[in-house]
Amino acid sequence: MSSAIRTSALTKSYGRELVVDALDLDVEEGSIFGFLGPNGAGKTTTLRLATGLARPTSGSIRILGQDVAAVGSAVRSEIGFLPDVPAFYGWMTAPEFLRFAGGLFGMSGAALRERTEMLLDLAGLTDVTSRIGGFSRGMKQRLGIAQALINAPRLLLLDEPTSALDPMGRKDVLDMITALRGRTTVFFSTHILGDVERVCDTVAILDHGRLVTQASIHELKARHGTGKVVVEVIGNSDVLAREFSERRWATATARGDNGRIEIKVTDLRAAQHDIPTMVAAHGSGLARLEAGEIGLEEVFVELVGGDR
Amino acid sequence: MNATVVFARKEALEIVRTWRIVVLPAIILFFAVSAPLLARFTPEIVRAVGGDQLGAITLPDATYVDAYAQWTQSLGQTFLFALIIIYGGIVSFETSSGTAILVLTKPMSRGALVAVKAVTHSVFLAALVIIGSLVTWGVTAAVFGQAPLEPLWSGTLVWLVLGVFYVTLMTFLSVVVPSAAGAAGAGIGSFVLLTIGALWRPLADYSPAGLAGRAAALAAEQPVPGLLGPVLVSLAAAVALVVAAAVLFRRKEL
Repeated sequence: MSSAIRTSALTKSYGRELVVDALDLDVEEGSIFGFLGPNGAGKTTTLRLATGLARPTSGSIRILGQDVAAVGSAVRSEIGFLPDVPAFYGWMTAPEFLRFAGGLFGMSGAALRERTEMLLDLAGLTDVTSRIGGFSRGMKQRLGIAQALINAPRLLLLDEPTSALDPMGRKDVLDMITALRGRTTVFFSTHILGDVERVCDTVAILDHGRLVTQASIHELKARHGTGKVVVEVIGNSDVLAREFSERRWATATARGDNGRIEIKVTDLRAAQHDIPTMVAAHGSGLARLEAGEIGLEEVFVELVGGDR
Repeated sequence: MNATVVFARKEALEIVRTWRIVVLPAIILFFAVSAPLLARFTPEIVRAVGGDQLGAITLPDATYVDAYAQWTQSLGQTFLFALIIIYGGIVSFETSSGTAILVLTKPMSRGALVAVKAVTHSVFLAALVIIGSLVTWGVTAAVFGQAPLEPLWSGTLVWLVLGVFYVTLMTFLSVVVPSAAGAAGAGIGSFVLLTIGALWRPLADYSPAGLAGRAAALAAEQPVPGLLGPVLVSLAAAVALVVAAAVLFRRKEL
């Protein structure tokens, strides 16, 4: 599989501030790629480098096999881009802006008309006749996604596409991204972990401009345990915590107040089976046993939350 | 359709559908109408205000030449001032508002964006000045009963070269200075320098500094030697400013 985006030691600094630090990223063509990171991690800057809006201080970035620094409109004709806060000409209407955007890609006539109508429908803006200047942030965001799709891009770059949307709008956008699976490479930055977990095949986590990890969601969860069990015992909590940590299914154990023990586990069923037996064997009481799949949020917090 | 043509059409539509269609046309129409009227009634106003203090001084009656002089003077001072202020954000507004991002991540080159803006607004300026000249010609004919076309057109066309030079200067400054107010300030500074520079003969003969005076002289039916020098230099400077703006804009990070 070829790479839609490949960065090699990509670095961007503003004066003495290092915003992107020797980033090596490989985004497979056809994948839905979540680019995760806390605010200020360097996600938007990476997207600006990918679109040619900014130039790397060092390193390189190749989009669809072409060096962004060396080629101009050749690569831009194959990408769609939505910035974090899309800005439009307020005096235009939504259909006018989509026709304008399509025109910049050389589209015209019936093809442009049909594409515009289809995308207006997708964005829920078909019957909206007012000027963009009067749009809500959510409407602008949906129009932004529509304009990014006007050229049926091979690579869709979305910067925080769902951050301004209400729950229904978010669902629509995520459904739309899911529908593009296999046809378009979707690279989207976000800090909304639920969105990534729902639609992405692969994620990269960025922190302070550095790549913390890049893996498929399945692999990432497996690496950091597949489940989490929270128990609250009455008596012998220290002994039990030590014994839990010695079991094969336990990858990490943490003690809390009032007999609370958190255990990250690789085999949830085995843990659920063994824990009550072990508690009973010590003559302790079991006040609570809660088991569940580990979420991306726990992985994310574990990877980037340590110094916050 | 070519991206440059699509963007040029957007620029033209933006002029027609925003405040741009009101402000400069209103200013130029005001000057076009007021110049002949002001010229016609200035002697009477001065007589009324001056009264006995004028003594033996007799003021000549105004003619169409005074109307044309007033028109070119208005263009060369107040209108240029307005033009400089209005075009302070000709490029920077697109970058500061974020609209340039959606345009420049599509197959539209930065150089073309700058060039299209300079050309479209120069054409708009030319259309305004032509319409304004026709209006001032009509009002002059109505007020004075005489309004030959040649001095008016020749003076106005020479001024138009100066106007185009200032549009390109503001395009350049709007790329260099990120704020519209800052670029307008730099534009006004350039205007003051060129106005003072016109007093130095070599500069007036071979730079835009000499155009305002020559436009006024042509409108007043006075002989104007060496017109080609400042006109050609100004046109070349306009082209150079657009090229420089395009090169600088290509290097800019957005």
